[in-house]
Amino acid sequence: MQPQPLLLLSLLLLAVSSPLLWLLRPHRFRHVGWVAAIPPALVTAMLLTQLQPVSQGIFLHERYPWSAALGLEIILRLDGLALFFGLIVAGIGAAVALYTGYYLEDHPRQGYFYSLLFLFMVSMLGIVWSDNLLTLFVFWEGTSITSYLLISFEHEKKEARDGGRRALIVTGFGGLAMLAGMVLLGQSVGTYTISDILFTPNLDASPYYGVALFLILLGAFTKSAQFPFHFWLPGAMAAPTPASAYLHSATMVKAGIFLLARLHPALSGTDLWFWSLLTVGAATMLLGAVSAFRYYDLKAVLANATVSQLGFLVMLLAFHSEAAYVAAVVGILAHALYKGPLFLVAGIVDHATGTRDLRRFARLGRELPWVAATAVLAGLSMAGLPPFFGFLAKETLLETFFHHAEHDVPWVGWLGLGVAALGGALFVGYSLTLLWEAFFRREAPEEAAHVHHAPGFGFVFAPLALTLVGTAIPFVLTAVEKPLLTPTASAIAGHPVEVHLALWHGVTPTLLVSLAAIAVGVGFFAIRSALRRLLATTPSWLNGTYLFDRLIYGLYDLAAWSTRTVQGGTLASQASVVLLAAVVALVGALTQVRWPEDLPIDWSAGVYFEEVVLVALAIVAAITTVRAQTRLNAIVSIGVVGITVTLFFVIFDAPDLALTQLLVDILTVVLLVLVFYKIPPQSLPPLSRVVRIRNLVVSVLVGLLGFGLTLFSVGPRFLPTISDYFSLNAVPGGHGANVVNVILVDFRGFDTMGEITVLAIAAVGGYALLRSARLRPRPADRIALNHDSEEG
Amino acid sequence: MPELYLRLLDRILTPILLILAVFLFLRGHNEPGGGFIAGLAAAAAFQLQILSRGDEYVRRLIGPYLHPMAGIGLLVAGAAALIGFRQGGFFKGVWASIHLGQLELDFGTPQLFDLGVFLVVVAVVTSFLLGLSKSEASEGGEEA
Repeated sequence: MQPQPLLLLSLLLLAVSSPLLWLLRPHRFRHVGWVAAIPPALVTAMLLTQLQPVSQGIFLHERYPWSAALGLEIILRLDGLALFFGLIVAGIGAAVALYTGYYLEDHPRQGYFYSLLFLFMVSMLGIVWSDNLLTLFVFWEGTSITSYLLISFEHEKKEARDGGRRALIVTGFGGLAMLAGMVLLGQSVGTYTISDILFTPNLDASPYYGVALFLILLGAFTKSAQFPFHFWLPGAMAAPTPASAYLHSATMVKAGIFLLARLHPALSGTDLWFWSLLTVGAATMLLGAVSAFRYYDLKAVLANATVSQLGFLVMLLAFHSEAAYVAAVVGILAHALYKGPLFLVAGIVDHATGTRDLRRFARLGRELPWVAATAVLAGLSMAGLPPFFGFLAKETLLETFFHHAEHDVPWVGWLGLGVAALGGALFVGYSLTLLWEAFFRREAPEEAAHVHHAPGFGFVFAPLALTLVGTAIPFVLTAVEKPLLTPTASAIAGHPVEVHLALWHGVTPTLLVSLAAIAVGVGFFAIRSALRRLLATTPSWLNGTYLFDRLIYGLYDLAAWSTRTVQGGTLASQASVVLLAAVVALVGALTQVRWPEDLPIDWSAGVYFEEVVLVALAIVAAITTVRAQTRLNAIVSIGVVGITVTLFFVIFDAPDLALTQLLVDILTVVLLVLVFYKIPPQSLPPLSRVVRIRNLVVSVLVGLLGFGLTLFSVGPRFLPTISDYFSLNAVPGGHGANVVNVILVDFRGFDTMGEITVLAIAAVGGYALLRSARLRPRPADRIALNHDSEEG
Repeated sequence: MPELYLRLLDRILTPILLILAVFLFLRGHNEPGGGFIAGLAAAAAFQLQILSRGDEYVRRLIGPYLHPMAGIGLLVAGAAALIGFRQGGFFKGVWASIHLGQLELDFGTPQLFDLGVFLVVVAVVTSFLLGLSKSEASEGGEEA
C-alpha cells in the first residue's frame, strides 16, 4: 500500500478547484475548458495507476477521523467497483469539463456552473469510494443538492425551477428512506463499515432485513429514476446539456445502480431482492423505451432512453449469477460511453442550430460531419448493434435469461427473455429514429434549422474521444477484462469471478434472439409515426409528472386550508385554539393522577398576610382588565396583574423570574400603549353573546388547568425530581452559582438554542408583517384589529 | 412624540439601563441576571430612546444592525455549542481560568452562549419595538 493519501488528495483537488474556477470568472477566456479538464484528468490518471494493484487485490485504504463523538469517520477504499466507477466519474468528468467551456462560452455564470460541476464530482467520487454507510449517505445528498442546483441553473425559466424541485423532492425523499434503511442495517450488523457488512453471513435472516432492504431500494430506485419515480429524469433535462450528459446519464443516475452493486453481496440472493429488482427494472425499461418514441426534443428522447437503460441495468442486478455481474459492468461502462457523448452531441446541435426539435432538421450530417460521425458511432452502440459495445451488454443480458430459463425457473427465464428482447427491439427503434431524423433525413417536416455557429475543435473533441474509447473497447476486450472488468465483477459478486467476454460466440440461440430483436427494432423505426400518434393519445393522468404536481399542489392547498381553519380570524380566536389544545393535552395527563393521595394539600403550612394581599390584588386587577371600558384602563390593569406576579416571585425567592417578569411587563405595557395609540380612541364595542361565552369557557378551563398543574407539581412525584441534580451540579459542573442561568445556558442549552432560534424567526416574520401592514388601519380593519365583535 | 421631561429622563436613565444590562449579563452566571434578562434591559433602554427622541432617531442609529445582530447572536450561540466537541460533545461546556494576580476568572462556552442569547433578545425585541412605534411620518421607511 502506498503511503500517500491519494484518494483524499483527489477529493481535495476537485474541491479546491470548485471555488477557484468560480473566482477565475472563466467566461472571459476562450479555451478555458482545457484548463478546467486538468483536475479530473489528473484524478483519472491517478486511478489508472491503480488498475494494476487493484487487479492483484491491493486496495488503497484511507481512514480519517471526522466526528468521533458521533462515531463517524471517513473511510475511503478503492476496490474494483470503486475504481471502475471512479474512472467513469473522473474520465467523463474531464470530457464534460472541457466541453462546458465551449457550451457556455461567454455565459456570465459559467464559473458558477463549473463550481457546481466540481462539487458534484467530489460528492460522486465520495459515494463510490466511501467505505462507511453514513459517509456514503452524506455524499449521496451532496449529489442530490448539486443536481438540484444544476437543473435549476437557468432559474429564470419555470420548467428549470419545476424540474429541479421535482428532482430534489423525489431524490431527497428517497435519500431519507435510504438513510433509515442504512441505520437499520448498520444497527443490526453492528457496524457501518461497508466492507465489514458485505461479509456478514445470514443478513437476510435478520428481522430487519425486509424493511431495511425496502428502504434502501427506495433510495436506489429514486436516484436511478426507476418506475414509478422515473418522471423526474425527463424533467431534469432543463439543466444545461453538460449537466444532463454528466449527472443525468453518465454518473449520478447510476448512483442507485452503484448502491445495488455495492450492497449486492450482502443483500441479494433473496426472493424479495430478485423480484423487486426484476419487476421494477423491467417496467422501467419498457416504459422508458416506449416513451422515447413520444418526443421530438432530442434531449427528451435521450432522457427516456436513459430511463430505459437504467431499468435494464437494475434488471441485471436482480440475478445472482456471474454472467449477470459481468453484463452489468459492461452495461454500465457502455452506457456511460455512448449516452454521455450522445447528450454532448445534442448540446452541440442545439448550440449550432438553436433548436433540438427533431422535426426541424434536414441533412444536418452534411453540415456537421464530425458531430454526425460521433452520433452514429454512439447511437449504434445504444441500439445494441454488433460490433458495438452496447451489443455486448445486451448479448450478456439475453444470455443470463437463457441460463435462468434452462437451469432455474423456466417461465421466469423465458418471460424475462421476451421482455429483454422487446426492450432491445425498442432500443434499436428509437436509436435509429434519433439518428435518422437528426442527421440524415432529406426533408424536415417543419421549417428547417441551419447551422449558424459552427462548433470548434475542442467542442467536438470531448464527445468524439469518449465515443472512440467506447468503440474501441470491444476490439481490445482482453486488455480491459483483466485489469478492469474482472475486479469490478468480483466486487459485485463478493468473490473472485472469471470474466470471458467475446464479441463472437458463434451462432448461438442468443445471437438469433438478438438478430430477431434488431429486425423488430427496424420495424419499429419504420412505423415510428404511427407509434408517435398512438402515444400522443395517452391520457394526462397517466403521466408521473402530472400526478406528482397534483400531489404537491394538493399539499399546498392542505396547508392553506389548515391555516385558514386553525389560524384564521382574530387574535382571540387563535388564542382560544391554542389554549384549548393545551387543555385537552394536559387534561389527558392529569387523569392519570390518583386523587387525593397524589395531591395532599398541606393545610398546616399557614397563609401569610402578604400572600393574601397579593392574591386579592391580582384578582381585582384581572377583573378590572376584563371589565375595563377603555383600552388604557385595560392596559394599566393588566400591568398591575403582571406586577403582582413579579412580587410573588420575589417573596418566593425567584429573583431571576422576578427580573424577567418585571422587564417583560414594562415592555409589554409600553408596546400596548404604542399600538393602541395608533388606533382611534373609541370605546370598546360590546362583544357578542357567543364570543363572551367562549371566552368565559376558555378562561375557566385554563384557570382550572393551571390550578391543577400547580397542585400536582408540589405534591409527591412518581419520579425523583431533577431539580436536586441541577442544584447540586450547578457549581461543579456548570461553574455558576446561579442555577437558573446554568440550566438555561448549560444543562438545557440545547432548549435555549431552539428558543432563540424561534425568537429570531419570529422577528423576521414580525418584520414582514409590520412592513406590510399599515398601522393606521383602514376603516374596514378597525373592528377586526380591535376586538372580535365580528364573530358569532 | 419627544417630550421634554422624557428627554431629561433619557439623559440620565439610558446610560444607567445600558450599564445595568451589561452588569446583569456579566454577573448572570453566579447571581440573578443572564443574557435573556440583560437583553430585555437593553431593549428597555432603546424603548426609552424611542419615546424620548422619536423612532426615526433610533432607527437611524441602530436600525440597520438589528437583523444582522440577531443572526450573529444565533451564530455565536451555535459556535459556543460546537466548541463543546473539543471536550467530547455538542454543548459540552469548555472552561478556562484566567489568573490576574489574586483574581481568578472563569471563562467558558456557556457564557459565550449567553452572549448569543443576549444579542438575539436585544435585536428581536428592539426590532419589534421600532416596528410598532413607526411614526406616521416614517411610514414606508426601509429599515425597522
